Amino acid sequence: MNPAAIGLPSILTIEDDPVLGAYVHEHLGRCGFHVIWCQNGQQGLQMAREQAFDVVLMDILLPGMDGLSILTHLRQSHSIPVILMSALGAEADRISGFRLGADDYLPKPFSMIELRVRIEAILRRVALDRRPLPISAPVHDDARTLRFDDERCDVFHLDHWAGLTRSEYRLLETLHRSSEEVLSKPFLYQHVLQRGYAPHDRSLDMHISQIRRKLKAINYTEREVRTVWGKGYVLSGHDDGL
Amino acid sequence: MTGFERPLKRLPGRHSLFWKLACLLIAFCLLMIWLSWSWGRYMEQKNAYLSDEARVTLSGYAVAAEQAWSRDGSAGVDAWLQAMGKRESTWIGVIGNDLQSLSSIPLSDNESQRLTFLRGLDWPVSRHVKGLPWLKIPFPTDPHAGSLVIELPQRFMPGRYQLFWRVVTNGVIPGLFTLLLCIGLYRLLIMPLNQLREQANAWRADQLNTRLSHDATGRQDELGELGRAFDHMSERLQGTVVLQQQLLRDMSHELRTPLSRLRVACDSEQDLTQLRERLGREIDAMQRLVEDSLQLAWLDTERAPLPQEAIQLQALWDMLRENACYESDWPASRLPCLLGVDCWVRGNLNALAQALENILRNAIRHSPSGGVVSLDGRREGDCWHVWLEDQGGGIDEGDLERIFAPFTRLDGSRPGDGGFGLGLSIARNAVQRQDGNLWAENTGQGLRVHLRLRAC
Repeated sequence: MNPAAIGLPSILTIEDDPVLGAYVHEHLGRCGFHVIWCQNGQQGLQMAREQAFDVVLMDILLPGMDGLSILTHLRQSHSIPVILMSALGAEADRISGFRLGADDYLPKPFSMIELRVRIEAILRRVALDRRPLPISAPVHDDARTLRFDDERCDVFHLDHWAGLTRSEYRLLETLHRSSEEVLSKPFLYQHVLQRGYAPHDRSLDMHISQIRRKLKAINYTEREVRTVWGKGYVLSGHDDGL
Repeated sequence: MTGFERPLKRLPGRHSLFWKLACLLIAFCLLMIWLSWSWGRYMEQKNAYLSDEARVTLSGYAVAAEQAWSRDGSAGVDAWLQAMGKRESTWIGVIGNDLQSLSSIPLSDNESQRLTFLRGLDWPVSRHVKGLPWLKIPFPTDPHAGSLVIELPQRFMPGRYQLFWRVVTNGVIPGLFTLLLCIGLYRLLIMPLNQLREQANAWRADQLNTRLSHDATGRQDELGELGRAFDHMSERLQGTVVLQQQLLRDMSHELRTPLSRLRVACDSEQDLTQLRERLGREIDAMQRLVEDSLQLAWLDTERAPLPQEAIQLQALWDMLRENACYESDWPASRLPCLLGVDCWVRGNLNALAQALENILRNAIRHSPSGGVVSLDGRREGDCWHVWLEDQGGGIDEGDLERIFAPFTRLDGSRPGDGGFGLGLSIARNAVQRQDGNLWAENTGQGLRVHLRLRAC
């Protein structure tokens, strides 16, 4: 019934600039998405309501109807993820976008790689949200591992609690669950801090820094949170060459 | 600034205009009441007594009446009375001590009754009695022999100018005093406002450097406060305008450099991959310039407080060090943090991280090979005084303040590799927005950048 059923993630792009729109259309298509491109705001809203898309990618300044009003209308009935794109890079625009229910905000100019990473982060989060709650894996409770305690939101190693905060615990747990896999910053922002990623936002880096310090303080050296430049973070053992 | 709600909540301050106005108006009211009361009384009294002329004339009549009585008895009095009847139109009688007429014509009942209350010559005469008052003047030489009784002739009736004096005391004089009060109030209240208006007009004529006179801003009361606020506003306005103009000028200059390089690359470069690489580099630089400038403008214009949280400087430094080591290929050991784990400050994470990162980048850029950049500090009361020290040799004393101005590049380094000279201005704005201070100092070995931040 709709392209998503075939298996490709479907994206609705609402962008009036013909050059940028065509480029985004072509590039995302090559990346394995099914892209529908619409140049008018009013039309875009109608399409987003009638068809099922996985992500809506939308400019703020649009002919017909501007992006923020589309978002307001759309949010009355749909919870579909929306990424706003705009050349208005000011903090205030970003905040009003998020307040109206945007899932991410991408300031122009952006690179295609960044756009792709952000779309994937959202798709992945949505997939995680839809998945039934995993039955917690059996805990390997030997002296060398970390014990995760969901109730206390803390980890335990060699008679010591690390004293993590709630966000730090969620972050470490997410990294732990995808152990040895690099998780992108946009995904971690989406999943752990539940907001879009912005270049000047340092909260995630600060949480990582605190996790490292706290793990070091309880003498946990088996694995550590590593930075993979330009990609994200990974919880991995020492020997892995990255 | 809270002038509308303050008077309701608590008493106005010691220097408030309220006290001045209250004192002035209370004093004025009391003065007016006292004036009209005492002057009115004085005039009333003064107008109640017979004039000297009336007294002399009437005393003269008494002497004449006595002479007539003592010379010729009743006949003399009759003759005198007859003569007097031509001179005075009012009733005249001469009576003995037994209150009987000394003339041959006895008193009528009505007249006898009037005689039972007679005024002395020096008694006050009230305006409220109906008709003319009757006076009794004893004979001057022998008061026991008898008295002259006379209905006061109309021309001697006191208080003929009473209306005039009433107008003067109740109308003209209070009017004059009120006029004086108005002039005083005008000088007190409206003159400073006129000065404000003149300054606003000066702004309209684009003279942003005009300031209020010292009199207007030196006052202790609300108008002084208003004047100071006005001055502060104009200072801020002027600062913003100057900054914006400077920013625009510098930015267009800075943007021209990568543009001209792009133009050259476009014209000369043959190899496509190399061209693409150069394009990418220049676009990155331009983007950074635009972002930094916008952020500086934003930090300067946005006045809403940033959300604050507790930040551990050690963890922040770890985070920045990781980035810096990656960017500069320095080992972490060259970026030591001498602060303890107890150093927690209150601030906005993103703004503080950016400020410290900019300072750190600057320090690394100016460090000699093998140099060390260290973070240290101490607790000072409610604040943490933190400093970041490099070994880059420092700068001229005169430039210590100038490095915080936007687009200042001391070594004339080219944009792209040396930065645009925006880092430290962004840092200072970011620190100041969270109520901190940022300043620089030469240590002899290098530059030490100080931060004062609120402790947790």
